[in-house]
Amino acid sequence: MLSGAPGAPGIVIGKASTYKRRLPSVSETFVTDGQIQYQLDEFQQARTKVENELNQILSEQDEANTEELVRMQVEVIKDPELNKQVKQKIIDENLTADAAVDSVFETYLRILKQNQAEDRSVDITDIRDRLIQVLHNYDAHDVAEGAIVIANELSPREVIEFADQGVKGIVMDRGGVNSHAAIIARSMGLPTVLGTQEGTSKITGDDQVVVDGRLGKVIVNPDGDTQERYRKQIDDYQKILRDAKKICQHPNKTKDGISFSLRANIEFVEELEAVEKYCAEGIGLLRTESIYLRNQQFKNVDEQESFYIKMLENTAPHPVVIRLFDAGGDKVLDNSSLEQNPFLGWRGIRMLLDQEELLEQQLKAICKAAAEFKGRVRILIPMVSTIEHISRVRALLDAAQEELSENGVEPDKDIELGIMVEVPNVALQADFFAQHVDFMSIGTNDLTQYLLAVDRGNERISKLYDQRHPAVWKLINRVSQAAQKESIPLSICGELASDPVSACCLVGMGIDDLSMNAAALPAVKKALRSHESSELHELAQNVLDAQTIGHVNELFSNWNSI
Amino acid sequence: MIKKNVTIVNDAGLHARPAAAMVKLASKYESDFYIHMYGYKVNGKSILGVMTLAAEKGAELELELDGEDEEEALEAIVELIDSGFGEVYEEDEQ
Repeated sequence: MLSGAPGAPGIVIGKASTYKRRLPSVSETFVTDGQIQYQLDEFQQARTKVENELNQILSEQDEANTEELVRMQVEVIKDPELNKQVKQKIIDENLTADAAVDSVFETYLRILKQNQAEDRSVDITDIRDRLIQVLHNYDAHDVAEGAIVIANELSPREVIEFADQGVKGIVMDRGGVNSHAAIIARSMGLPTVLGTQEGTSKITGDDQVVVDGRLGKVIVNPDGDTQERYRKQIDDYQKILRDAKKICQHPNKTKDGISFSLRANIEFVEELEAVEKYCAEGIGLLRTESIYLRNQQFKNVDEQESFYIKMLENTAPHPVVIRLFDAGGDKVLDNSSLEQNPFLGWRGIRMLLDQEELLEQQLKAICKAAAEFKGRVRILIPMVSTIEHISRVRALLDAAQEELSENGVEPDKDIELGIMVEVPNVALQADFFAQHVDFMSIGTNDLTQYLLAVDRGNERISKLYDQRHPAVWKLINRVSQAAQKESIPLSICGELASDPVSACCLVGMGIDDLSMNAAALPAVKKALRSHESSELHELAQNVLDAQTIGHVNELFSNWNSI
Repeated sequence: MIKKNVTIVNDAGLHARPAAAMVKLASKYESDFYIHMYGYKVNGKSILGVMTLAAEKGAELELELDGEDEEEALEAIVELIDSGFGEVYEEDEQ
């Protein structure tokens, strides 16, 4: 068995197909003058082919990240200077087309590096490699439908292409969960395990493999029993997907009738459809930063307000929890102001309070939207680590409400102000923080990262990152007790809530408000509806007694979530 | 031939995404388009060239257009740069 990081959830069994991004080397021979025209034609054909492939991807894509990336690559392949220079090399230096492509790209990549403009060089080398593949008649499309691709590392474009070809799963030696390829794999629903380090050396072309993208495991040539066990899990999962609609229409109640709430984490207006489809009770986490970062006009209060209104209009009568801009400072100021430890740095509310105008504008837009949909807006402050963060936001919020009244608009007096519990000191002193807020929400992604001192994006140590670690559970339980003591609502908005067994455990701890990626909702709901609350409580107790991640995994695999 | 000086105003500078937008726009026009910056000159219709400039916020560019639709092209390109390219940042979440 190989371990890696869980890149994209889901389990698949299939035949491995190894894939090499780059063929060994380009030709070192020179062509005669008579062969030059042939090389020019080859290059021209390869260019057209790659451009058509990219356009094909574009026509099938509507995911914003993917689209922008591919659009940039289309411009590279159409680049007039690039084409002129490759042709020049073939004509003047008698190079073969592949060697000419390699040499011209090399020059550009070197200059980009010199000028510290490497941010997209991976997507540029990807185009170079695809051109060379085509010139070598190496067709990535040779991977059989239903195969599992085993690669050292894939570019985002390659992930998209494999998904379009009907590949079932991906295993990569390299890459972390925040890599662009992983984000794309998740959005395409392709089970993926990353950072196995030795996948390509241990797995060969005809091996049978199980890819468990939830736990980051790859099992090579599993025995009969193991295969059987996984096939059952896959069937269960498929069944849930099939029955998703039916499952979602059932009430949010455990077998013995105890209620819980399942909400959606979203970021874009386009995702509202999924919120409705999976019957989420509103938005438990509305991310605002990427919208802001993508579109500077978003600094405009009216535009922001209409974004919030759209969210509120489409989720009535449920709440919408708006998280204030949660970005690192490098996104707001100059890109060059990079920090050594951005996750421990000037980000979230720490940055917002230094950029007061930005925060004021956001609060103003939220208050204006809230006034039209009274009683439904909650504001969530990210990256809080001191009480002062809360009081300062509250003062600015009051001022924004005041300004609204002065303009003759009656403000929503019930806007709740809450905090993300993600910095460990806040979790440890949750009872104290709870006295100063209207609600709390645990962000398990960052809490885990801070608690275990593991950068989840770092592939060398990503195996150490596990939100189901006993220490994480103990801390969550502590926060839950504090919230109960102070009688304030507590929710979970991290990835942990989207894992059905973990969700059972959370509800067992008394946390009945879970927010997740909408697509995860049916499986979570089904698991919760299949159990008595006493069973959930027992699971939670056992998990709290566990000392190692191994214990937790054992408890979880013995728990029948269906 | 016409020339005009412009300053990059968006925080992220002329990185991949803005470069793609500008090249795409410029390619719609017949006129030749060159960018001069600190002694470098690149073809403004070449995304690789534009990216190698690594123009940051505050960088001053001299745009040079030559062709029948040069006025029109210049106006459109300047508008795009002055608007901060609409979209300028990389996403990065959690």
